[in-house]
This record gives sequence, structure tokens and C-alpha cells, in this order.
Amino acid sequence: MRLFDRFKAKEKSKRAVLIGLDGTPWTLVERFIKDGTMPNMAKLRAAGSLLQMDTSIPDISSVAWTSFMTGANPGRHGIYGFLDVQPNSYKIYFPSSRHIKSETLWAVANRAGKRAIVINVPSTYPAQPLNGILVAGFVAVDINKATFPASLVPRLQAMDYRIDVDARKVQQSHDALMDDVLVTLDRRVKLLLELYDKEPWDLFIGVVTETDRLQHFFMDAIADAGHKYHSAFRDFYRRIDAFLGQISERLKDETMLIMSDHGFTPIKQQVYLNRWLVDNGYLKLKDNPRSIEDIADGSRAFAMDPGRVYINVKGKYPNGTVESNDVARVTAEIKQGLSEISDNGAKIIKRVYERDELFSGPVVAFAPDLCVQSVYGYDLKGAVNKTQLMDREIFTGMHTQDDSTLYINSPASALRSDKPHITDVAPTLLDALGLGVPEAMDGRSMFR
Amino acid sequence: MEGKGLTLWFTGLSGAGKTTLARLIEIELRNRGHKVEVLDGDVVRTNLSKGLGFSKEDRDTNIRRIGFVCNLLARNGVIAIAAAISPYRDIRDEVRRENGAFVEVFIKCPIDVLAERDVKGLYKKAMAGEIKHFTGIDDPYEAPLAPEIMVETDKETPEQSAARIITRLEELQYITASSEPDSYSDEDAEEVRRRLEALGYV
Repeated sequence: MRLFDRFKAKEKSKRAVLIGLDGTPWTLVERFIKDGTMPNMAKLRAAGSLLQMDTSIPDISSVAWTSFMTGANPGRHGIYGFLDVQPNSYKIYFPSSRHIKSETLWAVANRAGKRAIVINVPSTYPAQPLNGILVAGFVAVDINKATFPASLVPRLQAMDYRIDVDARKVQQSHDALMDDVLVTLDRRVKLLLELYDKEPWDLFIGVVTETDRLQHFFMDAIADAGHKYHSAFRDFYRRIDAFLGQISERLKDETMLIMSDHGFTPIKQQVYLNRWLVDNGYLKLKDNPRSIEDIADGSRAFAMDPGRVYINVKGKYPNGTVESNDVARVTAEIKQGLSEISDNGAKIIKRVYERDELFSGPVVAFAPDLCVQSVYGYDLKGAVNKTQLMDREIFTGMHTQDDSTLYINSPASALRSDKPHITDVAPTLLDALGLGVPEAMDGRSMFR
Repeated sequence: MEGKGLTLWFTGLSGAGKTTLARLIEIELRNRGHKVEVLDGDVVRTNLSKGLGFSKEDRDTNIRRIGFVCNLLARNGVIAIAAAISPYRDIRDEVRRENGAFVEVFIKCPIDVLAERDVKGLYKKAMAGEIKHFTGIDDPYEAPLAPEIMVETDKETPEQSAARIITRLEELQYITASSEPDSYSDEDAEEVRRRLEALGYV
């Protein structure tokens, strides 16, 4: 009887596919559907729902993808940025997959006997064992530590698989970077399709990061039809669309999702919050500072990329100066001051969030005290070596929080009508697999 | 490496994965410089316990012998891995009392899954009555009440189970954590920093 039930369950179980496009804005997808750049995406939209999605705050890949994979907010999963500060020292460290405190959606699926393929999701390095295959994404350094099981490594090497675009190529030339973007994308797509076709799986997650890399350096090109790289940008998205077509023609009865972890918009100015803290007397730095490790005595606050502000509390940090009963006052003062930053008379800060407005969970103590959100065009940065508040660098695109993409191959009538959040994606995928959503996930399935 | 000796006792039904996991753990521990010996129930019954049957008394004798050898090995700094069905709780607990450092690993897998897998063809025979005293079919299996480690081999791959056993042994401080850095090595961290700088994150 129980044996029979198992077979029955197998027959009923459905598979789910998620394709990630790092940093692809929903507005850009809509535009490329309208102007014919993405015909496959147009077909997909006609058969399903293409939605604008909110992502995590901060809206950078490490936080956003971790929120995706755990369905949880950073107060639970513990990843607040690409860099973090050790409270007992100010020492900078780079959080890795081992710092993630919440269960991943593929671990939940594994527990139910579902096999998962997880390729190029940022912040999964080093690869942790799973029932299935995982090749870690940004910031993976060593292919051996990025890959589970190890037996896959020779196959990756034989395919000349590349973990990531080398963004340093831009120092040679934009052409060199564009070539690298295209080659990396080709290799990525080749691997994704091969594993899709040849490996058994119940949950397939494949992320393309080349979209993000392109947009960091070429975001100005798409706004300007006369730009040298305008058609190259468009051609790149034709390739993305072709890949989406290759996936969609393989679909049988799978649930298919497409998502991005944040949106993108052109940069007007980069804004260095640590400069503002120095100029306003909250932060003191040693000579020629390289990072916040070079904080000097007498500091009351410091900032980390992108808009994270930490109060230098006595007892929490080695040279903390702010008494615990004074934290609320200093926080409010900085919040007010930051809110008033302007450029040519126009305010550039959209909102300053306090910690408890954004984060809740067991690791909320490690959260920034404030998270600053700018208006489009003003990219908040954590650099400490800047002599002016605003400047331009080589980057032409910045992330946005309210313009991520979510596509589900189900009609709107099958879905909730409120705006999705990135933490809703994992519950949606588990729901599609016929599994319950763990309580430790903050998000909810998009299926009604 | 001058490691501490230990008896690592795998218990579970036939086909649950005791031998497979014992071999994976053996390799990992050897790679980390430990002295390791595996006492596999099937093998022990061809030499040390040759002639013993499957009555409760004979099973107990078999387990006592394996436990005795594990104790000798562990006293000499060896990690002795016992992989035997060892269905009776009282005798496992007796071995635990006799041996110093003892870690019980429950290799859990539902019997219907094992019967379906039936790698050695034994369940079919046992269910047909061709094998008597088969644990889980016509002989009891008393699951551990508080094993130090439990892995569920119907829900995870052998590699996953092995990784969990190793992690737990690290937590219990029987073995030191892998020399592989918890996060990035200094060299790797510099590379990470350069890549993040290239995208403007530092």
C-alpha cells in the first residue's frame, strides 16, 4: 500500500524551472518586448504573467540572491552585503555561503526527495553538498570549491566554463569587456542546456550574471540610440531572449519562472556616504584609508556599501564612542541629515530606513542601524578614500530596488494580485513542486 | 597527526547505507590524517565471528566482539568505525559503556524504501520466507533513542550524509575542523576584493 502511494506521488510530482537574469529591470524587458528585441519573452508573457517585483534592501546581489534562495529577510539569513565588519575588530570580511543562517530552498526540496540543479546563483560559494548539482556563482574563486559534486569539475573544464565575466577587462577597453561578456554567456548557456537535458532533476535553477555585468558598464548605451554600444546592448538581449526560447521550447508541464534580483538605471552621480559622515563630524579616518578598517578614534558612525550606516556603539565596537542610551538620538540625527542631501537643489535620498523597519530574526543584531535608499541615478557607495561627496567613475549603471523582474508561466488569475517581493520566489517554487513552505520563510507563494 | 581514538558506531537496517557511509567517512578522515579502521558486519562474520548465527544470543556475541576490537583500536588513537546492523539497543548501550569515546550514528531509512531498493536481493528472499531472522522483517530492530548523529539516507545523498557526520564530529570536537578555511583564505580574499572593486563594491 505504502509502496503504491510512493509511485502515485511520483506520477503527480511536477518539476519547476527558474531562470535568473541578474539585474534585468522589468521596465527593460517590457520595452524589449514592445520593440521586438525579445520575441520569445513576448510569447512567454502572452501565456503567463510578467510582473514588476521588489527586491531586498540593500538591493545588491549577495543580499538579494540570498533572500531569494532562503525566502527570508537578512535578519534571518544574515547576509547584509558583499562585505561586512567583524563587530569585535572593524575587520572586513567577505560573507560566503557558510555564513548563511537560513535553509536554502533546494535543501527544503532535497528533504522531500527532490533533486536540484543550481547553477551560478551568487553567494553559494563554497558549494555545499546537496542532492543534485551546484556550481556556485559570484564571488566564486576556485572552480573546485565552487562545484558539487567534484566529479563535475572535469566536465566544466572540458566545456571551458567560466564562473564569471572578468570586469577588470574594462581597463583594457569596453570592446574587451563586451567580448568577455558574450563568451561567458555562451559558455554559461551551453552548460545550462546540457545539464537541463542530460541530468535528472525536479528543480532547475540557472542564473545568468552577464546581464548585470553588461549593465554596470553599458547602461548608458541603451538610453541613447546613437551610442556606440547601443546595438551591441540590444544584440546581447537578443541572445538572452534566444536562450529563454531554448528553455521554453523544452517545457512540458513544468512551472517556469524567470526573475532578476534587482533592476538597473543609469547613474548620474555616485554618492560617498562616508564622505558625508566625515564632513558632518561623525566619522574620522586614518591617513590614506583603504577601508573602514582604517577608522580613527572618536568616530560615531561609519557606512558600508551600498547605503548601510552603522552607529559606532561603545561596547559593540572596540573604539565605540556612542553610549547605548544615546544611540537612538545619534541615529535620528544622522537619519535627518542624510535625508537632506541634495544635488543642485533636488533631494537625492528617497528614504532612510531604521533597522527594525527592514529586518527581523535571530541575526538582526548584525544589521546596519540605517539603510539609505536613493532616488534613481544616485548610486550610494561605501568607499572611504573620496575627497568629495559626489563623483563619477567608470560605471554607468546602478541597481534599483523596485524594478526587478518576475515571470511565471501561469495566468494572472492563478496568482496573487499584490506586488511580488523577492522572498516570495522560493515559496512559489516549493508550492509548484507540491511542497509546503517552511515557517522560517518570510515570503508567500504567488499562487492563489 | 596525533588524533584521539574513537568508536564510531553505525547502526541501521540492511541496505540503509552503513558500509557506503563508513567508506566515505574512512576516506575523509584518512585525508585529514587520522588512523582509521572499518569493522564491517558482513566482513566480521566471515572471520572474527565466523560460525555465529542470527539468534539474539549470537547477534549479541558478534556485537560484543566488534565492540571489543573497536575499544582496542580506539585506545591506540585509531578511529574505529563499526558498520553493523546491531539491532538490539541494550547491547549497543553495553558497548557504549565499555568503550571510552563512543559516537552512535543512526543510519535511518524506512523499510519500504529498502525493500523497494533491495540492492542485495535479501528483502525479497526474507519476505518470501527464504531467509529467517531478517532484521526488520521477522526480527526486531530497536532504533537508537538518542544517537549522537542521525542521517536519513532516503532523503539525502551519501555525500550529504557523510558531510553531516563529519560536521557533527567536528562539533563534538572528536576531530578538528577541516583545514580548509571557513570562508576565504587570505589569498582568495584578496581576489574577492579585487573582483568586488572592479564592480565598485569596495
